[in-house]
Amino acid sequence: MTTFSFSLLTGETGPLVTVNTPDTFSIPTPTHKSIVSEGDEVLADEKLAEATRPGIGDVHSPTAGVIEDITVDAIVVRRSGTGQNAPDASPPGGGKALREWLRGLGINTHQLVRASQLIINAVPPEPGISIYEPLIQDYRHIVELGLDAVQRIVNASKLHLVVAKGNRTNAFPNCSILQVPPVYPNGIDQLVIKATTGEETLLGTRPKDATILSVRDLYYIGKVMETKRPLTETIMTIGKDNHLIKVGTQIRHLAKEAGATIQPGDRVIFGGMMRGVAALNIDQGVDKYTTGMVILRHDEGLSPTDNFCLGCGECERHCPSRIMPGLISRCAEFKHFERAEDYHIHSCIECGICGYWCKAQRPLLQYIKLAKYEIALLRTASSTLEGEGQ
Amino acid sequence: MKIILPFQPILTVTVAPYAHCGRTINGYIRETIIAMLPAAIMAMVGFGVGAMRVMALSCAVAVLCEALSNKFTKTEQSIDNLSAVHTGLLFAFLLPASAPWWLVTLGSASSIILGKMIFGGLGANPLCAPLVGWATCRISWGSFMDTNATMLMSNLPAPLQDLKYFGLESIQSIDYMAMLSGKQLGGLGEVQLAALLLGAVFLLVRRHVGWEIPLAFLGGVTLTAWIFQMIDPMTYASPLFHLMTGGTLFGAFFLITEPASSPTGRIPSLIYGLMGGAMVIIIRVYGIYPDGVPFAILFANLFTPLLDRIRPKPFGGPYQLTQEPEDDEICEKC
Repeated sequence: MTTFSFSLLTGETGPLVTVNTPDTFSIPTPTHKSIVSEGDEVLADEKLAEATRPGIGDVHSPTAGVIEDITVDAIVVRRSGTGQNAPDASPPGGGKALREWLRGLGINTHQLVRASQLIINAVPPEPGISIYEPLIQDYRHIVELGLDAVQRIVNASKLHLVVAKGNRTNAFPNCSILQVPPVYPNGIDQLVIKATTGEETLLGTRPKDATILSVRDLYYIGKVMETKRPLTETIMTIGKDNHLIKVGTQIRHLAKEAGATIQPGDRVIFGGMMRGVAALNIDQGVDKYTTGMVILRHDEGLSPTDNFCLGCGECERHCPSRIMPGLISRCAEFKHFERAEDYHIHSCIECGICGYWCKAQRPLLQYIKLAKYEIALLRTASSTLEGEGQ
Repeated sequence: MKIILPFQPILTVTVAPYAHCGRTINGYIRETIIAMLPAAIMAMVGFGVGAMRVMALSCAVAVLCEALSNKFTKTEQSIDNLSAVHTGLLFAFLLPASAPWWLVTLGSASSIILGKMIFGGLGANPLCAPLVGWATCRISWGSFMDTNATMLMSNLPAPLQDLKYFGLESIQSIDYMAMLSGKQLGGLGEVQLAALLLGAVFLLVRRHVGWEIPLAFLGGVTLTAWIFQMIDPMTYASPLFHLMTGGTLFGAFFLITEPASSPTGRIPSLIYGLMGGAMVIIIRVYGIYPDGVPFAILFANLFTPLLDRIRPKPFGGPYQLTQEPEDDEICEKC
């Protein structure tokens, strides 16, 4: 049996720990177009890449140095020198201009829209991730600065702070507190929105007249507002402590700092045990929105199999979206992707609980994600065909 | 062109989640078999070497058939997940201890081949596999499957047959306490009530079986029997009699709960159990077979795909599938 617990209680967390600056950064640029080229010398805070999709923040260099390599999804910078770009001009007063200013300084601005309700998510996103605690306790003024800036865009008449019952919290001015049971998956945005407004929003869509930001989002925005410098840091839980880490810091460096060794066959997970993303290699760098890092030995954790579905229904009984992951996984397994839509695949909020309970150790969430991806491809293909026909 | 060397150390990459509850198919089936062991031991105590012979032969044939099916269909060998042993033992529990070897062999083989492997193996069977074997034998060689006719030497009571052929008076002096320890004629495992209850508690505690289906099944039996008794207490037996005789308890915890052939939601499970339970009494009262449990469960199995359509509203549903709104559209609101 496992000792894994779904509890979202964080207990006492210490102050943020800073990590020594590494020599090499590998800055992820998943949806960005590089504006520098190999061999260029860059200053700290200099823009490296621009987002190719709306709402995604641009990427800046966390250090002064030389561009060593530009790959499909990362820019590698070797540290040298200490030059730093001057801070940006003062931020615009609000609205669209402020939103665009923040995006240019690296903030993801999907949720920065005008709405009458603003939900602040302070529920830990996953068991073992406690990044919001030190921010709400020790960096309160920055978080409040961020909230102030957000309000200039969102203009919400109602503020909600959602916390897990049992975790320490302090309210913001004019803000109502809502406590949810401290159990995963209650920290997932969709469920926090549901707890606050009662509205069930699909993953990838927005609630009608509300918007949701995490405490860390507010901290990031506050930090950018305060320093007028781009966002080049992330807050991550590693072990029990929360760390302030430069974006692009490689796993290699983090493991060395933590005194951990990584053996062949291990898994290194960015994020938590339920929703994290496994790293491809130890040169991969952390992203702005990485929440944690876990090293799993090769014999630990779920190793997915291609076992058949037993039909036991455990996944379905635990599913917060009230769908049948087992059946959807069978559709995906046999490439009946459109049939998966009949089983409401779009209701899935990708919490991973189905895979946790599956006796057959099927990679249920992977099947669901695959089916969603294939459905999206089918959609694009059919819409381009229609477009060409006209 | 740059030559890219693989990064050392090479990491394993999988998709979330990375945590797991630790349960496996093997563990599940192993524990289900453990839950059946008390009844198997009681069967050997009660029916002697004959019971052991039937159980051993049935399990052996089941494993062999599964191995051959795998070989024949060129699929990965699946006998090490123990499900063949499980099916073989379940089938043996339904047979009289006097069953001839060829009957055990044919029944066990059809349980595995017709009941399970032909549909693609464990998890794909639409019906409870051992019952498919049982039904094949019951219909083809009824007289050999008849516990009463083949166990003439025994002086154990055969309450269901008595009720069917001699009426209610014949079961007035029935000793329920003796029946708990297996003192009735029937399948060699299905009559070991106390031992089966012990196994059932184990399954419920280990959460291998949900409470919904067994409870609804037993509730269906009780309710229907009670209705019949209300109609005419001089003709129809009491609910307790129906719960204690034949395969009712065995069916409730070991057969009708079989995961692949039962629905998964709570409400569908309750309906499914109730339906099976009600059919048991209807077959016992109107049918030509003294014990209706296996046929009632097969009948309920057939409704599983229909019952599975009773679903709660999905998260965020009902919804129209439209293109995701582009970010710019929403920007207009800013």
